[in-house]
Amino acid sequence: MDSFKKKFVEEAGELIDKLEVSLLELEKNPEDASLIQQVFRIMHTLKGNSAMFGFDLIDSFTHNLETIYDQVRNGQLQISPEILNVTLASVDHLKLMLDEQNYNDPDFKTVYNGLLSKINAIINPSQPDSIKVAKESQQPEGQISTYYILFEPNQDIFKNGTNPIYLLDELCSLGEYKVFCHFNRVPEITEIKPELCYTYWEVLLATSQDVNSIQDVFIFVETESKLEIQKLAELNLLSDNAFVEEVSHLAEVQKDVGLVTVQRIATKAAARLNKAKAEQFTKERMAVKDKSASSIRVSSDKLDHLMNLVSELVTTQARLSLFAEQTNVPGLAPIVENVQKLTRQLRDIAFSIVLIPIENLFGRFQRLVRDLSAELHKEVDFIIEGADTELDKTIIENLSDPLMHIIRNSMDHGIEDARVRLANGKPAKGKIHLKAFYSGANVIIQVTDDGAGIDPEFIREKAISKGLIPPDRKMSRKEILDLIFLPGFSTAKKVTDVSGRGVGMDVVKKKISDIRGEVEVESEVGQGTTITIKLPLTLSIIDGLLVSIDNSPFVIPLSSIDKIYAIEKESIYNTYNNLVALDGAQVPFFSLRKEFNLKPSDEELEQIVVVNFEDNRVGLVVDHVIGEYQAVLKPMGKHYKNHDIFSGATILGDGTVALVMDTNKIIKMFANIKAVK
Amino acid sequence: MAKTILIVDDSDSIREVVRFTLENEGYNVLVGVDGKDALKHLNGQTIDLVITDLHMPEMDGIELIKHIRAMPDYERIPILFLTTESQTAKKMEAKDAGATGWIIKPFVPAKLLSAITKVIR
Repeated sequence: MDSFKKKFVEEAGELIDKLEVSLLELEKNPEDASLIQQVFRIMHTLKGNSAMFGFDLIDSFTHNLETIYDQVRNGQLQISPEILNVTLASVDHLKLMLDEQNYNDPDFKTVYNGLLSKINAIINPSQPDSIKVAKESQQPEGQISTYYILFEPNQDIFKNGTNPIYLLDELCSLGEYKVFCHFNRVPEITEIKPELCYTYWEVLLATSQDVNSIQDVFIFVETESKLEIQKLAELNLLSDNAFVEEVSHLAEVQKDVGLVTVQRIATKAAARLNKAKAEQFTKERMAVKDKSASSIRVSSDKLDHLMNLVSELVTTQARLSLFAEQTNVPGLAPIVENVQKLTRQLRDIAFSIVLIPIENLFGRFQRLVRDLSAELHKEVDFIIEGADTELDKTIIENLSDPLMHIIRNSMDHGIEDARVRLANGKPAKGKIHLKAFYSGANVIIQVTDDGAGIDPEFIREKAISKGLIPPDRKMSRKEILDLIFLPGFSTAKKVTDVSGRGVGMDVVKKKISDIRGEVEVESEVGQGTTITIKLPLTLSIIDGLLVSIDNSPFVIPLSSIDKIYAIEKESIYNTYNNLVALDGAQVPFFSLRKEFNLKPSDEELEQIVVVNFEDNRVGLVVDHVIGEYQAVLKPMGKHYKNHDIFSGATILGDGTVALVMDTNKIIKMFANIKAVK
Repeated sequence: MAKTILIVDDSDSIREVVRFTLENEGYNVLVGVDGKDALKHLNGQTIDLVITDLHMPEMDGIELIKHIRAMPDYERIPILFLTTESQTAKKMEAKDAGATGWIIKPFVPAKLLSAITKVIR
């Protein structure tokens, strides 16, 4: 159960995050009934789950919170800033409640009680409400009693998916039993409707359970059947053979025995038994197996190791495939194919263990921006894109702080006051754009604001005055902008609460490089600033398409490929505008032979691989398409580091090295060259 | 042959607990995150039992129950619903929609299994 608890805490955390987002939405549209419903629903789930996993405090707390929104839902209350503030404060507190260690903190209790009384004041302005806790009633440890049960289901009992036999089985599991089944209501065979139930039952049951547990058996069908339960004696009458025989006999000759008759016989039997006094009581208890955990924790070292092994396996498997192809041994091919399939599955599972979407992390910043916007009196639209991008869990955890810093900086230094913005001809409301996307073998996270931008001249002067650079140093614009990542450099003219203590960007840079990422800054004075974080995909195995250009192999990531066409050489080389008609649409293309400064090919047919580039389709012309290939990405050496049109290299089955293209970068680069020409 | 049970709940942890408990008991388990999602499993394959939450986005439990009862393949399969509300009103609404029975949250695995043995074997 303990690991379920962890799972619960994780999930509750997500629920609370979601709740927060919904509440913030609700703040913007207080009248939106579907949002109120959503808030209520999340609270409801939180309440139900927390009770299940023993977080009683959360259970009762959310119960009260939920009541507020139930009343809002029913129109008894109106969403007010007061309600939202209390709810948001409660949401913060809920986060603390997830960690049971906090419970001993005296402050915790104070806040808890404070919030609870505020909540109660909202629910019930006149008098404080008390929290009700349901107590489970204790089962009395009784001796064995004998019961008579008549169970007569309605004829249409099957309609709800009930099978009365199971109920009888369950009833019988309570103790010793004798069942009499009556078929006298079953009509002639021509009259029988198979979907109706004609049978009814009489049961004698000797059990140590009380009458409630017998009723519990029939709890689902109470309203759909006739049920009589009567205690016959506080003895096990079934141990008396004479009694059983007499009732059985009656059941055979009569239609049904009936309660009255049974009671009469039972009284006699009970008297006999009491006299004999030779009774042994047995108790049956259903043993409940303890369930063990469904998830386990594994150290990330082991996962890294697993990933390495998987990538080695993929490489080896490629060699095996090649070998099988070359040797052509009968029977080897199917085995190799199987190995390939298994490798792929293994790889996918290893991936799914390590990767999670960045969504939760991004969601957290909604709140940050809201709070900051209140604190700084700046109105900001916060736009999130690409929240489904998947990243290594540890990377996501380590991204939280740096991103928070960057967003704070954008809010504090980037976005100007509304007055300044209007004076500069910008909308009063600022805009911050948080975006994640894949580019080749990297994940890019970008924070863009439309604020004041960074003035390189100002940075330069500041750096000189702080003695960070000599005054006569000649620097490119990019070099100057990169100065903001130096330790001890803070550009804010005044230190505010939010940022500007001079421990901003250098920490960001350090944290990002700790996870093998890079940070870049691009800024235009008056237009805004873009901070780009480039992270390597830790899982460096990608599905690729193996192609060849002038007999050299290259890999194009399969994820970016749209379609492949064969195309005549003529239509590529004799063109002025680098456009080709494919499937009735014009597609711009680049001949990679041409761009790589190679001679035109001798062959008549070439292949055009159409890839997705931003929102467009762009064709890349190659000589041959060899086939699908699982590429294990290896970083390239120091000398090739600046060739970022390739995201890495991979070793093919025969030992050749193939470069892996970053199609985004390739297209960008060639498009730029074209523009310059 | 192992019985197939479809669990429909928007809560990950509930789904996991239920799924784990059931799989441990040797049931085949299908999952849906809400009513709408659950419908994809109701494609004619054999499903012996549906366990659904009532409060869900997209399509709630009651709606789902009505849907299932309208499908010839599944009109008689047992359906249990999960509910925190022990009030009769909600329960009756679900029963009227065609549910076989209910499980009151919070529940322990034993309680879940005992409710299931009431309707399938």
